[in-house]
Amino acid sequence: MSDTTSQSSLTEKLLQRAAPGRAEFEDLVVVPIFAVIVALIVGAFIMLATAVDITTIGRSYVALLQGSLGSLNAVSETLTAAIPLVLAGLGLALGFRAGLFNIGAEGQVVVGGIAAVIVGFSMPGLPWIIHMPLALLAGAVAGGLYASIAGYLRAATGAHEVISTIMLNLISYRLLDYMLGLSWMQRPGRSDPVSKSVVSSAELPRLLTDIDPNLRLHAGIFLMIAAVIVVYWLLFKTKTGFEFRASGENPYAARYAGIRASLIIVLAMGTAGALAGLAGANQVLGVLDRTTPGFSAGIGFNAISVALLGRSHPIGVLFAGLLFGALEAGGRQMQVDAGVSIDLIGIIQSLIIVFIAAPLLVRAIFPWGFARPAGRRE
Amino acid sequence: MDVELRGITKRFGPVTANDNVNLTIRAGEVLGLLGENGAGKSTMMNILSGLYAPDEGEILIDGKPVRFEGPGDGIAAGIGMVHQHFMLVPVFTVAENVILGVEPTGRLDYLDIATARRQVRDINEKYGLQVNPDALIEDLPVGIQQRVEILKVLFRSAEVLILDEPTAVLTPQEVEEFFGIVKSLRDAGKAVVFITHKLHEILAISDRINVLRGGRITGEGDPKSLTENQLAEMMVGRPVSFDVARGPFKPGDTLLEVNDIVVLRDNDEVAVDHVSFHVRSGEVVGIAGVQGNGQSELIEALTGLMHVSSGEIDFLDNDITHASVRERHRLGMAHIPEDRHKSGMIGNFTIYENMVLDSYYEDRFSNGPNIKWPEVLRTAAQYAIDFDVRTPSVYLKADNLSGGNQQKMVVARELERVTKLVIASQPTRGLDVGSIEYIHGRLMNSRDEGDGVIIVSSELDEIMSLSDRVLVMFDGRIVAEFDAIAGPLDKNAIGLAMAGVAA
Amino acid sequence: MIHTSRLLGGVAVATALLFGSISSAAAFTACQVTDTGGIDDAGFNQTAWKGVEDAMKEKGIDGRFLESQAETDYEANLNSLLGGDCDIIITVGFLMGDATKAAAEANPDQKFSIVDFAYDPVIPNVLGQVFATDQGAFLAGYLAAGMTKTGTVGTFGGINIPPVTIFMNGLAYGVAYYNEKHGTDVKVLGWDPEAKDGLFTNNFESLDDGRTFAQNLYDEGADIVMPVAGPVGLGSAALAAELGTDKLKIIGVDADQYQTDTEKQNVYLTSVLKRMDSTVQAVIQQAMDGTFKGGVTVGTLANDGVGLAPYHAFEDAVPAELKDEIEKIKAGIIDGSIKVGG
Repeated sequence: MSDTTSQSSLTEKLLQRAAPGRAEFEDLVVVPIFAVIVALIVGAFIMLATAVDITTIGRSYVALLQGSLGSLNAVSETLTAAIPLVLAGLGLALGFRAGLFNIGAEGQVVVGGIAAVIVGFSMPGLPWIIHMPLALLAGAVAGGLYASIAGYLRAATGAHEVISTIMLNLISYRLLDYMLGLSWMQRPGRSDPVSKSVVSSAELPRLLTDIDPNLRLHAGIFLMIAAVIVVYWLLFKTKTGFEFRASGENPYAARYAGIRASLIIVLAMGTAGALAGLAGANQVLGVLDRTTPGFSAGIGFNAISVALLGRSHPIGVLFAGLLFGALEAGGRQMQVDAGVSIDLIGIIQSLIIVFIAAPLLVRAIFPWGFARPAGRRE
Repeated sequence: MDVELRGITKRFGPVTANDNVNLTIRAGEVLGLLGENGAGKSTMMNILSGLYAPDEGEILIDGKPVRFEGPGDGIAAGIGMVHQHFMLVPVFTVAENVILGVEPTGRLDYLDIATARRQVRDINEKYGLQVNPDALIEDLPVGIQQRVEILKVLFRSAEVLILDEPTAVLTPQEVEEFFGIVKSLRDAGKAVVFITHKLHEILAISDRINVLRGGRITGEGDPKSLTENQLAEMMVGRPVSFDVARGPFKPGDTLLEVNDIVVLRDNDEVAVDHVSFHVRSGEVVGIAGVQGNGQSELIEALTGLMHVSSGEIDFLDNDITHASVRERHRLGMAHIPEDRHKSGMIGNFTIYENMVLDSYYEDRFSNGPNIKWPEVLRTAAQYAIDFDVRTPSVYLKADNLSGGNQQKMVVARELERVTKLVIASQPTRGLDVGSIEYIHGRLMNSRDEGDGVIIVSSELDEIMSLSDRVLVMFDGRIVAEFDAIAGPLDKNAIGLAMAGVAA
Repeated sequence: MIHTSRLLGGVAVATALLFGSISSAAAFTACQVTDTGGIDDAGFNQTAWKGVEDAMKEKGIDGRFLESQAETDYEANLNSLLGGDCDIIITVGFLMGDATKAAAEANPDQKFSIVDFAYDPVIPNVLGQVFATDQGAFLAGYLAAGMTKTGTVGTFGGINIPPVTIFMNGLAYGVAYYNEKHGTDVKVLGWDPEAKDGLFTNNFESLDDGRTFAQNLYDEGADIVMPVAGPVGLGSAALAAELGTDKLKIIGVDADQYQTDTEKQNVYLTSVLKRMDSTVQAVIQQAMDGTFKGGVTVGTLANDGVGLAPYHAFEDAVPAELKDEIEKIKAGIIDGSIKVGG
């Protein structure tokens, strides 16, 4: 009797989750926050060095805050910019978890956008309840298939996905240029590369136009929230997610455990590409209404930063995407109000990544923000 | 040169790694330092080499107190470490590696490689190391690479050599040769500290033995008068049994039938050369052999990790020659892999995730696409208790466990499945006595319950104490078979077969 | 965490107190959204911005600009100006046509003016500014045909859109007119006005492309090249500076690039002027004095909305009779006796 009681209490003890480590909290929350602060301070020094006076610097940071959070329009712009970054970032995070460094999100965004715009303009008359999901699906499928090419090449021939996805990016740009010149794709009456516009039944409806017609926030936000939940579920609750993570952490152990590496590679690439394709479809159906050369606007590359900043965790990616969206929206206001170049926002974004990648540096700058002194002791 | 540690104490936060340690190292003597993993051996040696500063106590060299400020100070004072993990540049020659960092240079930074080679040759001859100074490291076997590490510290004029688990990577033959080198170093007046947890080795080579447990010196003695059992008790803190308890031998039906299989390595070399054997229920088959004679490939072929070029494997009357890893699992094959870090576990995963690494898909742990995590957690905790995996929580990352507990985690996972055949490759490599005893007991349990067991080990003693039948592999073939049931095994005959001498 | 949020909050409040009260001193604010070439492209965007700058100097108004980094920024940039206090929003570039239209229709009380776009039907709160740059380019083409030693003139564009190709049309027709007058056979590479097809970089940013395209044209025999691609042309100018002007000369567009690209000013044979600065300034004036009306204004040789820049470094190299001919043609275009193309 006593034996079973002591056993069950032992089980209880083992099932106690160790209090979320202070170290973990610092890594996930404190370091990123400080990294943002340091980046803003260094950004200020850069402005100083380029002969921007102090009042302008102060005004530009106030504008950064106002332009990202200061009004309903600012919040709407922040969210609008964040949606595609989060979607594509989720795809990249998923790939990173599976050990795949997918540089090709940009190309997958492009291909997804192309597919979505074609479905979007070529099927007028469909009810929106069918048309819009169909266009989104087309984007996801196209992005997924496109990324699967790199996955298949990796699985079948060992061709490294970094190289093949970069090449697929370049191919996608040219594919877009070429397709925008095709008569059935090009907008009638235009000689420059611009596609037909999607019909309204395929559009992601704008949500806040009743309040102010300039508010651009659209239904893609629901897509984004759903994607965060689905990716979280996939990664941490399912067998497939377990296989992704196992393959990413230790491919030998995954093989030993009977996980089929080649299948996982193709599957993970495909899922990652589908999310990036969805990001492209979201831009086309929710923001741009059409495709032009360069409509992807570096979303796929910024999403790499978002995924890294979010530590490849769906919730982290959500917050990182919102931060980048805020910087984009706020950066515009910064230029309008203070006349500071928008390039500075790019610098600040990059600095944040640099400081996140160097947590020891951040710890050294803000020793009081951390429980333990920097540096590990054995 | 004599070195003395007096009252050394080193704390890491709440953990006291060394607690008032006193130790004397004398010239012309081999000091054996014995202790389980985590007993504080490495901390002590790192203090000696200058990497850590002690919190209390002092180090005396030839009676004079010294203070080491950094990692370079140890070697400068004549104390050289030979680490378990080699630090050599694979594409450099032996001579280049030896002089790396202390290159003899002439005018204008001219690298005087000729002088270096001569010096390396001199050291070579003096201690009988027999290393070609012009060989590339990547072409040398592990045993020779280790000698290059020794050359390195000798080249830096070390008088005290600390050898950290030096035999862990060596084959039995290499161990013999290595002991010869240690003796010649001692006879030349060097002081040698030999760190290990292998009892028979420490008895064979040491002049004096110190035992460390929980950061303290718990025993000191003369190898001539001590037995392995006494040493083990000092090391573990309780009596340890080396005799594996086993039930009567009751072999049942044949489970596994291997018929004339050939396995090729990536470079098309023949690794397994027309091998046939069988394993019955309730039987332990040991596969002995010097490492690199095809045992690893044979196991990988049996478990589905390597392709079988010709021949056939039958398991429970199914042809599994080309079956997937997963199919073999499902049929009841358990596999404890030879390198747990590389393939047996995922260090960055939690214990509970590792506990279901190859069974997460089974119905008991999953429901449609979902994994039943509460069930996994409960089971993992149960496994941890059943297999004595010592951890505060199953949420801990596997990397944070000690080697012995990691291995027990792997063994738990494999044996807690419904098994018919257990394939254990180097099941106790690098483990301390307590864990070895435990794992051996568990494997015998499986046998007594009617499983077939295959054990591959480079430790001949392990094979002999566990096996009902011993197969010896040499150069990809099974060259001899010994029956342990008929009578006691002849260690000498097995050793000869391992060396390729026809019986 | 608590530290940080407090710190952040504190900084924000302090800065807001310090600078928040600063508001625009001027009564009138003109805002401009540039195209992707950027505000300092030594041409198109810069010339349009000069109009605002001139108005700031002469009329004491406030001016702001917002650079577009990609086509996807147009709408967002317009949006962030709408929230502010812009009395007029000037968008620069044909490609912004859709975005400007959408914003103007959603905000009927806001005045807009767009460079290089004319809406049909007219939007009541948008004034389009278009330019008959083919007239200026016609003169440049005639000049180039008279100056080429290889008998080949080259051109390339940014994107195949009317405000770009109109330059290339003018150049081609000018060369053809010279051939007709003088019985020569000067060829134009990079644009075929009949097929409406030619060389395009497909961007308005890459100086590398400008260099490569000019190199290709040079390799094909052209010794005078007119890039119509904003700052892309600066790359072509760099190539010309390296090769030497005896091998390759450049015809600038939009601004007088002898003035704006001062480092390499000597490579410009001339520039085809598109006086957006004067039209922009005029539009601002109209908005200020209440005469602003939706519709189109067209810049021509006649109203000095387009023109040909001085020859500057080549003043002595251009033969006097060629100069005279060009002056006569200009007069002919203005009075309608000479038709550009068609």
